[in-house]
Amino acid sequence: MAACSKRLDKFIVSLRLLRNLQLQNERFLSTSVCRLAPDNDSKPPKFVPPSKPVIVDKTQAVKSQRKFLSPEFIPPRQRTDPLKFSMERRDMVRRRKVLDIPEFYVGSILAVSMADPNATGKINRFAGICIQRGGSGLGATFVLRNIINNQGVEICYEMYSPRIQKIEVLKCEKRLDDNLMYLRDALPEYSTVDPEMKPVPLSSTEEVPVNKLKVRMRPKPWSKRWERPKFNIQGIRFDLCLTPAQMEHAQKWAEPWREYDMLKEYDTSELEKQIFAEVQQEMKK
Amino acid sequence: MAALSCRFLLRRGTRLISPRAATESPVQLVGCVRTVKTTTFFEEHLTEDNQEYMRKSMAEEYKRQTAEKLNPLKDEPWQRHEWTEGSRRVGLVAVKLGMAPMWTKAGEMRGVTMLQVQDCHVLKCMSKEEYDGRTAALVVGGKNVSPFYRSEGQMEMFRNAGVPPKQKLTHFRVTDNAIIKPGTPLYAAHFRPGQYVDITAKSIGKGFQGVMKRWGFKGQPASHGQTKTHRRPGASGPGGDPGKVFKGKKMPGQMGNSYVTAFGLKIWRINTKLNVLYVNGSVPGHRNCVLKIRDTILPTRRSTLLNPPFPTYFTEEDGDLAEDLYDDDVFIHTEPSLTLT
Repeated sequence: MAACSKRLDKFIVSLRLLRNLQLQNERFLSTSVCRLAPDNDSKPPKFVPPSKPVIVDKTQAVKSQRKFLSPEFIPPRQRTDPLKFSMERRDMVRRRKVLDIPEFYVGSILAVSMADPNATGKINRFAGICIQRGGSGLGATFVLRNIINNQGVEICYEMYSPRIQKIEVLKCEKRLDDNLMYLRDALPEYSTVDPEMKPVPLSSTEEVPVNKLKVRMRPKPWSKRWERPKFNIQGIRFDLCLTPAQMEHAQKWAEPWREYDMLKEYDTSELEKQIFAEVQQEMKK
Repeated sequence: MAALSCRFLLRRGTRLISPRAATESPVQLVGCVRTVKTTTFFEEHLTEDNQEYMRKSMAEEYKRQTAEKLNPLKDEPWQRHEWTEGSRRVGLVAVKLGMAPMWTKAGEMRGVTMLQVQDCHVLKCMSKEEYDGRTAALVVGGKNVSPFYRSEGQMEMFRNAGVPPKQKLTHFRVTDNAIIKPGTPLYAAHFRPGQYVDITAKSIGKGFQGVMKRWGFKGQPASHGQTKTHRRPGASGPGGDPGKVFKGKKMPGQMGNSYVTAFGLKIWRINTKLNVLYVNGSVPGHRNCVLKIRDTILPTRRSTLLNPPFPTYFTEEDGDLAEDLYDDDVFIHTEPSLTLT
């Protein structure tokens, strides 16, 4: 009996040591046995199953705490019956309950899996940088761009298409512009994305970071004259490709009176709040 | 209209009384020639209080009238007949909401137009003799409006039917077994998904247009010695033998703003609660325009009309339908994503 208690003492000491040991990973051995140890002398120890280790998978997307309303929910400014938009919104929420459409922005890196009868395995996965978001309501789209075998590839996805199986956000970030179509004329390295890329985690409460990257362009001619004021592009190193005289010349097409046009004003903040509350309520149902 | 004509009369009056004053300011009179129609729902000369009162009382009155029509026990309903092959049913008056995308079960996107049936009622039943001696007809109206700008003759028809005044009135030729009592409300569930319809509406006006835009002529080259001939029609016909321009020659003229019918449009989906029809493709007319929908007359598509609600859909008798009725090919958003084979 004495020998037995000695051995037990040793066991307890080793257990305590284990408990004090600072383990690097989150998984640690359960030491709940210790509490039962003192009165073990009389009775044989009752088996207590070790508590289940809690494994936190950091790669899994956490439900975002940020207040985010996808831009396609906001109806365009026109004389359409608001009923039409509310009916569309209801369909959008129905689809969103089945398919998780995550929060993403122009400049984020996404991977989309889509049903394709001609692909091997009937599923086509394409990863790329989101260069444009378009459309409103059920017809919302986004364009992904990547360079594959030295060839630029752009795919325009319908956000609410039933063929879309999964949308993954590999890296959630914003860029300086709301439209990155100028990546077509930029050096290919700026639109190259590794399709096997691991998702970069972003904490659920953190602000979405803005990537202040400025791209270098290929020599002119470009698909559009990006230096013109109507594009208002911040993300291009114009100093490397255009002379100051050329930049000055582009200002000829500036329309500085546009910002004072009160007929073009469309304040959506109130509308956004209202729709956000409505969508949140519908999603909970 | 009322406001301007009033002012005109007043000015005429002052001119008659004091011609000297009028000659001093002749510019004022020029403005009176314009005829601007007031687009307000209420007479502009009502005081604020009166307008408010009218608004309230009219809303109540309209609601009461519509609710009364839903009660079938008020008076004896007309006798119903069975659906037979070759019967022609009544149609609907609807408002165009706009277009939206829709997906089929094959994963293809289709554009659909959303049409809402607002306050659609049968107003008058005309027998064969009354109408044109060949078929009976029903007058159907849609979209409640202000009673201020309706003519007395029309108002009498609305009073007889016991419904609020309507913006749009249309005739539908029906067979004798499909006549409906005036005052019966019509719903979007009158049609069923999968059937084909014809839609008539006034197309968007494009103004006076040349042959290139109106008829798609090719025009002439922009350069290489062309003088004053770039968008002109060219020749208008052969020379001496007929010695005339044939009738119906395509020429410049007013384009749009005329009644156009789109034939054979499939109904993909119906929302029975909000009375919205989802019709395949585009439909003539601008957004919020009032249009006329009927069962298609295309001989190849008529066979899709199998045992429809006849003579129309009655809420109290045909029972409650699901909120959304879908065609078999439509992808429903609550279903899981498609896997194609």
